[in-house]
Amino acid sequence: MKMDLLLVVILIVCLAGAAAVTHSLTQHQSDVAKTSIEEPLYLNGRTARRMSLAFNGLAADWYWMRSLQYVGRKVVKFEDEHSGQFDLNTLSTLDLRLLPSLLDVTTTLDPQFIPAYQYGAVILPEINTDAAIALLNKGIAANPSSWRLHQNLGYIYWQRKDYARASEVYAAGAKLPGAPAWVAAMAARMKADGGSRNAAREMYQQLSESSGDPSAKQMVEQQLARLDWLDDRDVIRHALLYYQSHSRDGHCATSWRGLFDEFPDTRLRFDSSSGAPLDPSGIPYQLINGGCDVDLNSSSKVPR
Amino acid sequence: MLGQTLAIARNTFREAVRDRVLYNLILFALLLIGSAIFIGELSAGQETKIVVDLGLSAMLLFGAFIAIFVGVGLVYKEIERRTLYAILSKPIGRGQFLLGKYVGLNLTLLVNVVVMGIGVMLALLYTRSGWDPLVLKIWPAILLIYFELLIITAVALVFSSFSSPALSALLSFFVFIIGHFSTDLNGLSNSAGSAPARWLFRALYYLLPNFSNFSVITATGHGMNPDPRAVGGALIYGVLYVAVLLSAAALIFRRRNFK
Repeated sequence: MKMDLLLVVILIVCLAGAAAVTHSLTQHQSDVAKTSIEEPLYLNGRTARRMSLAFNGLAADWYWMRSLQYVGRKVVKFEDEHSGQFDLNTLSTLDLRLLPSLLDVTTTLDPQFIPAYQYGAVILPEINTDAAIALLNKGIAANPSSWRLHQNLGYIYWQRKDYARASEVYAAGAKLPGAPAWVAAMAARMKADGGSRNAAREMYQQLSESSGDPSAKQMVEQQLARLDWLDDRDVIRHALLYYQSHSRDGHCATSWRGLFDEFPDTRLRFDSSSGAPLDPSGIPYQLINGGCDVDLNSSSKVPR
Repeated sequence: MLGQTLAIARNTFREAVRDRVLYNLILFALLLIGSAIFIGELSAGQETKIVVDLGLSAMLLFGAFIAIFVGVGLVYKEIERRTLYAILSKPIGRGQFLLGKYVGLNLTLLVNVVVMGIGVMLALLYTRSGWDPLVLKIWPAILLIYFELLIITAVALVFSSFSSPALSALLSFFVFIIGHFSTDLNGLSNSAGSAPARWLFRALYYLLPNFSNFSVITATGHGMNPDPRAVGGALIYGVLYVAVLLSAAALIFRRRNFK
């Protein structure tokens, strides 16, 4: 009995000691780990596929989750360093150099992994447009009947302001079975007015509806909010100009009160206490330049 | 004759249960429960794909380990315990004995695979909080995994009929790996420079088991139905290959001297 007790004590004490040593070593190695996160991948996609035997799907899942974690860690780090401000426009400052390789390995292991291509289509153009185009072309080659990948590739060309190529890609996607009518309409729109805000809105709305990945969806919705803000800015600037031109001495507005009395049909939402119009995230806009112009509030969640 | 074979099979199954082989199901259940609960947070909407990939891959891996490590001991244990002499002194042929052992282990694997399949179904229902078409679509893949395990068991039996358990396990494991490289062997046979090398790779391609015929886990994860002709072809291939291996094992075992 005594012997049993002694063995149990040894077991618990040694286990606790081992855990403490591991904890200490982990803390000591954390700086090394931070640099190793950026080390190039050991395996390229083809080698990884060979080595995965029949488990290539599982290996692809692993690399997929690693891609998400990689971006997530960078976003968290950025938010820690910049007091919680992150939007799609700051994606290019995150230094996501491994992401193209991670997504390439994921899709080589599992060429039918459509969400990985779609994620790459939304994130990669901010980092490396050529890598994004290569990924989507690879996806189309492996999934020739997927009109959604054409939609994603068209989006990349549109972002690159290559409206002619975007139109071609949409037109090719429209011919595929199951493609909805708006894909063909988008091909025509890209050709006619690819650079317009309405085209952008339509593009983001379709992407938001078709994206299954919550983080990509969130980023696309932020872009939609940015477009709403640009529309709001046009309306508010028009009202401010109207106010200035109808004031006796040509001064700008000092408050929001009565500014929109002449524009009752505006779709703006207003703050009940100050009368200030609200941005898409529900934060009141602010007057700048002595009330002659409008801007987002510093606490707004809408990207500029 | 059939009754005697089934009696050996039944005893082999009982022995596997007594040896706690089916305890691997607990580990499998923990793996699936863990993945179903936690993976959702990491996979950005790909929970069901990951549950299927993980569940079916674990089924193949656990099954392959059981097939190899239990398979290589099927004959050896009987020789070591000297129970083989008692069995063979009765009117039972050596081939019949091997067949009974093989069927018994396959029965264990069948129970294992079916319980694991039900586990994957339950994990999918939990992940989706309701019905998902994948619940039914996983079964053709499970059938193919089972047939792959039948071949692996037969491979282990062939090696164990003339070799020690450790060497048999090692060789069986090599065959499992090479069997998944069969597409590369075919590629090598087409691209090799010299004619003898081409013939060698071509011969290996046809002689070694082609496990790529049974690999539909990834496609199943995407909800794709495997081509019925391909499934049918793989099943016929499996039956033929098992017949070849069992015949080879019986031939070797019949000539083995136990004195």
